[in-house]
Amino acid sequence: MSWKQGDAILATDVRKSFGKHEVLGGVAARIAFGSMVAVVGENGAGKSTLLRILSGTLAPDGGFVQVSGRIGFCPQTPVLSDNLTVEQHLVYFAAAYGLPSTARADELVNSLSYESYRRRPASELSGGTRQKLNLTIALMHDPDVLLLDEPYQGFDWETYLRFWSLVGDLRSRGTAIVVISHLVFDEDRFDAVYELHDGKIRRHDPADAQTPDGR
Amino acid sequence: MRPYRQFPTAVRFSLRNQSRNRLAAILLVIFVPVWYLLMKAMIPDTALSFRVFANASMVRVDGRDLSYITAGLNALSLIVGFAVFAAVRRTLAFDRRLVWAGYGQATLIGAKSLAIALVAAAVSVYASVVLLVYWRPSVAAWAAILAGFTVIALTYGAFGLLLGVLVRDDLEGFFLIIMVGLFDTFLQNPIGNPLANRPVLRYFPSFGPTQSAVGAAFDRVWLWKYLLLGLLWAGVLAILGLCIFIGKTRVRGFRPLALISPGRQRRIAGVDDDAATEGVPTGAARGGDRRT
Repeated sequence: MSWKQGDAILATDVRKSFGKHEVLGGVAARIAFGSMVAVVGENGAGKSTLLRILSGTLAPDGGFVQVSGRIGFCPQTPVLSDNLTVEQHLVYFAAAYGLPSTARADELVNSLSYESYRRRPASELSGGTRQKLNLTIALMHDPDVLLLDEPYQGFDWETYLRFWSLVGDLRSRGTAIVVISHLVFDEDRFDAVYELHDGKIRRHDPADAQTPDGR
Repeated sequence: MRPYRQFPTAVRFSLRNQSRNRLAAILLVIFVPVWYLLMKAMIPDTALSFRVFANASMVRVDGRDLSYITAGLNALSLIVGFAVFAAVRRTLAFDRRLVWAGYGQATLIGAKSLAIALVAAAVSVYASVVLLVYWRPSVAAWAAILAGFTVIALTYGAFGLLLGVLVRDDLEGFFLIIMVGLFDTFLQNPIGNPLANRPVLRYFPSFGPTQSAVGAAFDRVWLWKYLLLGLLWAGVLAILGLCIFIGKTRVRGFRPLALISPGRQRRIAGVDDDAATEGVPTGAARGGDRRT
């Protein structure tokens, strides 16, 4: 798609407080199509808050956010309906996204190797399989911008590798990807790693990690 | 291929969610007949005075038969209230995700309301059919009792919906449904409540369905206005619940934008130089936008 060049996400001076506690104090970000960035930070640093603001599920107190194209959002805790089977989740979200079929979702189910659970209700799925379904819902409409909050929690090693292969494929097709994690093991997979600290974002330099104060 | 249609899909899955509550199903299958059986065993068939407010008359009614009606109303208020509350509360975050993904709020609301109405109607038919094992009123009286049962089921379905979007904890919701349901239906029956037949009863949700069912069963009058009064309760509670549902599932931001140039995009954002945003390439965009 020709428009899929340049900024997928543009955010300036994004601020968010909960009560008197300021979580984001003027965050700026500019993320291009076809790039993959990680946002790291300690627990409570505001990573998930930032992602929720970028996804449109949480309103910031101030600032500007623009996300271009269709968004795929994978929340940290799987948001599923326990009484519905895997297959029914796919049909429900196909209707939500306005898709004519679940073909892409079926591919993802096969690719993440949980096709044998298709007729199982979500309440009977293990934590890892729930996370696979959570991720499938975020990817099944071929989003232009993908926001992933701790996406590989509960994955075994093989699924972890498949996840990166899937994400790599999307990135090569021009999807902008933001991965939130409290720990990033494979920094070289990303175009850039950003760190959220004290409500501000800055580019993370691996060499900095060797000094105790991170400076 | 056409996209999946949202309304039938949502009706289908809302119905599945409502009907997959095992505890509610067990309560329905066991509690309803046992409740009637207890009425049969415990309540004597002596005559009682019951005030039919429509014609301001006191009607002589069989105490046991009256108790079948109030027991049915009570059982339905608890079972439907509980089933709807549990289904709505447990799927609220999921519904928010569906709306975020593109589901029309109005479509989802319509589908959920229809599913609740269908469940309420089905459960009412069941309770009315089981009643026939214990008591054989005339066909017209039975139809009026069924109508009263359906209205109370709709009312408490709407109450369950309201609590489902309002209350944070399962226990709080269950407790409220049990207390309100018991209090409401118990007060209508002069056997358990010496204060029954007083005008204050008209301010309770089960007043309309009780009056219409008892009026038809024992006084042979169809009290449409009282049935409508019950429906009014259902409507008001449902509107309150749905308004809160809209607020809680609302997507707080993105509006679609036409394709705009990268330069304009940055001007809108007030970004004149690369110092404000850090180190990543730039370009054209379309799609959602949010400004605050």
